[in-house]
Amino acid sequence: MRGLPTILITVSPEASAQMRPPRALYPKEFKVGNSLGRPGQRELQKQVLQDALLMLTGPAYPGQVLEREYPAYHAE
Amino acid sequence: MSIHRKCVPFTPLDKELSQLTVALVTAAGVHRKDQEPFNIADELGDLTFRQIAGDANTADLMVTHHHYDHSDADQDINVVFPLDILRELHAEGFIGGVAREHVGYMGYTMQLRRMYEETAPAIAEFIDKKSKADVIVLTGG
Repeated sequence: MRGLPTILITVSPEASAQMRPPRALYPKEFKVGNSLGRPGQRELQKQVLQDALLMLTGPAYPGQVLEREYPAYHAE
Repeated sequence: MSIHRKCVPFTPLDKELSQLTVALVTAAGVHRKDQEPFNIADELGDLTFRQIAGDANTADLMVTHHHYDHSDADQDINVVFPLDILRELHAEGFIGGVAREHVGYMGYTMQLRRMYEETAPAIAEFIDKKSKADVIVLTGG
């Protein structure tokens, strides 16, 4: 079987880092159950997914979980 | 139980995103309402997975998982399984396509070795053979 490139969006960065994923994004301070953001935060959800997808073709940091800040997550 | 891994299974990619078909694989317990729910009664967990078509109506999806608070996903499944957003990104040309098939499974298990040696390869084979995806976005709960 050919290899399948993956990008992991994780909200449990410590647990994920133990597995040394090939590519991983941690949207900082997002809680478990909110991998892409909160319900209805469509623009934020889209931004997180786009950032994750861009990590597939961008610079590689195999085994590392990259953190990214999303202030919109905390806005009410 | 721990899983020992000697190296990172990194698969390089030399295409543009606009040429790539994307599949979602989630451990968040997502499945169609008309599919058998994951077995949350078994304390060992559930090693099975559900296939979800790329054109599925996200209103027909639900979560069965008892090891995270999925009340937000119950309101908007895109918070763990962004299928609607993937379709938007395809419509905008950001990605090349939405895969024919996607996968939901319940990430909680006490049978880590079987998850690693049986379920994960079965999902990878399913994606490879049926989904026709070039890349996979993984999410947890």
